[in-house]
Amino acid sequence: MEILIAQIFNGLSIGSIYVLLVTGFNLLLLVAMIIHFSFPVVVVFSMYISWFVMTLTGSVALGVAGGIASAVVVNVITAPMFQHIMRERGSVDINATMVISMGMGMIITDILSHTFNQGFPIAFPDALTGNDQGALISVGLVSISRGQVLTLIVGIIFVAFLFWLLYKTRAGRAFRAIAEDPNGAKLVGIPLLKTGFQSYALTGILGGVTAVLMAVLLGSASAGLGDQLGHKVLAVSIIAGLGNLTGGLIIGLLLGILEAIIQGYLAGSWSNAIAFIVMLVVILAKPKGVFGSKL
Amino acid sequence: MSLPLYYYLAITAIYILMSWSIYIPYRVGQLHFMTVANMAISSYFAALMAINFAWPFWLVLIVGTLLGALIGFLVSVAIGDAPCFAVVIVGFTFIYLTKTIIENVEAFGGPLGIFSIPKVLQTSSDNRTLLLIVAYALVLLTGFLISRFDHSRLGRAASAIFIDRDLAVSFGVDVKKLGMFLQTWASAVGGMSGVMYAFIMRSISPNHFTFHLIGVCMTMLFVGGYTTLWGALLAAPILWGFPLILPEALQSWNIVIYGVLLIVVLVIKPEGIITRPTVKKIESLLSRNRKKV
Amino acid sequence: MKKILTLLMIMLLTVSFAFAGGQQESAGSTDAAVGGSEVVVDEWEIPFLNCLTGAIASIGEYLQWGAEYAAEQINAEGGIAGKPVKIVRVDTALSPEKGTVEMSKLVDDALVVMGPVPEPVIMAAVPIAADEGLYSFTATTSYEYAAEYFPWAISWFSPTDEKLPPIVTAWAEKVEAKNVVQFVENYGAWPGMAKAHVIGLEDAGVNVLEDVEVPSDAVSFGPLIVKALAQDPDAIVFACNAEKAAKIIIELRNRGWEDMNKMLVFSSADDAALYTTGGEKIDGVMIYNYNDPALDTPRWNDFRQAFKDDHDGIEPFSLSPNYYDAVYMIKRAIEDTGITGDPKKLAEERIKIRDYCNDIQNFEGLQYNWTNKGGYPADKPLFLFEIQDGQKVLVEKIIPE
Repeated sequence: MEILIAQIFNGLSIGSIYVLLVTGFNLLLLVAMIIHFSFPVVVVFSMYISWFVMTLTGSVALGVAGGIASAVVVNVITAPMFQHIMRERGSVDINATMVISMGMGMIITDILSHTFNQGFPIAFPDALTGNDQGALISVGLVSISRGQVLTLIVGIIFVAFLFWLLYKTRAGRAFRAIAEDPNGAKLVGIPLLKTGFQSYALTGILGGVTAVLMAVLLGSASAGLGDQLGHKVLAVSIIAGLGNLTGGLIIGLLLGILEAIIQGYLAGSWSNAIAFIVMLVVILAKPKGVFGSKL
Repeated sequence: MSLPLYYYLAITAIYILMSWSIYIPYRVGQLHFMTVANMAISSYFAALMAINFAWPFWLVLIVGTLLGALIGFLVSVAIGDAPCFAVVIVGFTFIYLTKTIIENVEAFGGPLGIFSIPKVLQTSSDNRTLLLIVAYALVLLTGFLISRFDHSRLGRAASAIFIDRDLAVSFGVDVKKLGMFLQTWASAVGGMSGVMYAFIMRSISPNHFTFHLIGVCMTMLFVGGYTTLWGALLAAPILWGFPLILPEALQSWNIVIYGVLLIVVLVIKPEGIITRPTVKKIESLLSRNRKKV
Repeated sequence: MKKILTLLMIMLLTVSFAFAGGQQESAGSTDAAVGGSEVVVDEWEIPFLNCLTGAIASIGEYLQWGAEYAAEQINAEGGIAGKPVKIVRVDTALSPEKGTVEMSKLVDDALVVMGPVPEPVIMAAVPIAADEGLYSFTATTSYEYAAEYFPWAISWFSPTDEKLPPIVTAWAEKVEAKNVVQFVENYGAWPGMAKAHVIGLEDAGVNVLEDVEVPSDAVSFGPLIVKALAQDPDAIVFACNAEKAAKIIIELRNRGWEDMNKMLVFSSADDAALYTTGGEKIDGVMIYNYNDPALDTPRWNDFRQAFKDDHDGIEPFSLSPNYYDAVYMIKRAIEDTGITGDPKKLAEERIKIRDYCNDIQNFEGLQYNWTNKGGYPADKPLFLFEIQDGQKVLVEKIIPE
């Protein structure tokens, strides 16, 4: 029993990373119609910038700010590029955005593996991770760190906030309208440039915060980290229903717990295969995702 | 023929076939990455049969292709008419599953892989000539079949499903049957590529058949153009060839250059370099020339 | 439709020829000369198939550095048989397919090749070289990979299950381990190394608990650690990649693991990633490897200082000496067997080098001398270290009998 409880908390920990990443991924789908396969790579890029600023200035606060700023900048620069090609929605397939995203991912991963810290993994200071303070709760095998609690809470708050913003506010409706039909949105008087900019900046902020939380939770990062997470994030979004924020939250956490239990009780090298078999069964039963696609 | 040219051309053929194996089900809008798993399975099948039981190449090629088709068919019974992204999950699952099984079973070589797959013909140069001829015969055959399909009534039905599935259904198109047919075919092409890959590379390991390969085939298909069979035929030799002829000074930038090229092409031509109108234009140009003559 | 097909086939051919043309330009610069045993080349070109781009580019760069530093030193001392040597950089990234083409470009002209480096590329490219009678210096891979291609590939290491057990036994006895759990990543030769560890542990009379398998794409390690700790081990062996080992160690510390000596990291995880990820949190952990960074000989001190100067003060990567030694081994082979570099004698001279190196006697390596028998050394020492302030401090040296 103790082991099971410990594994569930471990699962929630990795699950909350999936939640944050899949939320950003879904948000980009909703506000910009991008299948941003390499979104996790962009987040890892922000982790590196954050680390770079921290090492340069010695200030954790500046590092956090730098990480978030870099995510906003990357997003505001690249999102219009994606949207440019989605303008011809009638003839262009949305999967073209996925391929562009792959291209972006390749470039970023390659740059990370050459430049920062000579290409080696980076480690974040204890001042950020709180590792030196030990676990928050520790009973036998059950151990919960501050980072785990923080990530999970922020993840849930973010999903709730975005849900409210997108579906209950005027601004959110404008974001979605632009994504779905730019010309129509223009006709009904939504300022395209300003609203578009706001929605890209918003996804950027989410990406930046995700980067910081991943730094707190994982304590380190490497160039390949984003690639390792990429297809799982895509899978979670598909299983939940593409663009479904609440679904992403639930499925993300469940996948984390599932993986933890497989790794804890069965063989670790089988964890991906078994987790995906479970997802396969789910998707066969619910081909449009458990909670339905929101596209 | 020089040795580098042989490897370049032989691997180009594999990439063309694999990109087509993604193209075929994409005709009805399904991203069927399972063909990468088919490639792995048939590749291992080929290696094990050739090494342990001395099966002749031709038999391995035929059985390996049929094995791909069989697995593809069985899976397609469940997902013949599934939405694009449900099919993606099926592909991911089979890729993970195949890789995990290979890595955990020592008879399959484990994570080390399989070495020293025998040559088809004793002399190296004869062996290479034969494999190259077979590889391009398979490319021609597959290309011909795809072309026939694209110009048939079924091909038009597939295009209709791609554009608007509901509308196609209301016109009486059997989405599931068509999907099953295309998936089975694609898996057969995947299996065929796997057998050829095993005999061309002569050693294989589980890491050869993963998400990296999906990335390669997706980029070839989308940069070349995913609406006709010509796209992959054009993009495969270029995208895989140019890093090989990059001058030494630019070598360390080859991945960045590849990525930038990908993005630039898709931003300028979101449908890829060769689109259906391009094909029509070329066709009409050629036929006009013919009339003049 | 047929016309388009023809058109595209023509395009394909054009690309192929462009490619073939580019390849010809870069072919070797050896001048043909007639007869005699005089050296006929103006410069020895030694191609090095390395991974200089992609996810492990930084490691590739460290290996490259070793080879190029050796070339620099040799040239300063008068070259090989009086002619300068040049290491030709060939990037295969991590791609087996690129590896086949790059290797096949070399089989007509190269005297020997160094590399390839990552295992998937070795498996794709070395068979081509072996087939064409070209000898490969696979100086960083496990014996098990190189042995597949003997006599056409050389190994820098002896068979895994011969060389590893004694050092693991020594560690287990030193720290008085009783119940040991092992973290194993299912990659390349690592499961084989883990099995060799078990032999060593059993020799020391240790109770070996159930392995904890580390998924290659794991990013958080809580579940694996709980699985390990639930078995109540008093010591741990790591056979997983450097970054993962460091992260598991940190997490174990956070969970209250105290006796750092009772953790042993295997040689394949001894790269900069272990130290950059682990920082001072891995102090006290033990690690085994094949060379001693604190060795005090003029040659090693010089190498170590030069490496640090070029890499912001980082200690030499543990495999950087391998390709340094490879260049020197090639030098000795060329000089001792009277290789001329004459293209007409290429096949015969390749075999001379191969046979010489496969059984080289008392080779003066950067760290120690060794002797090869049948393509691998059986007398190389292994070192057990304790990590202190990001440095390896020697605890014990084991020389095989």
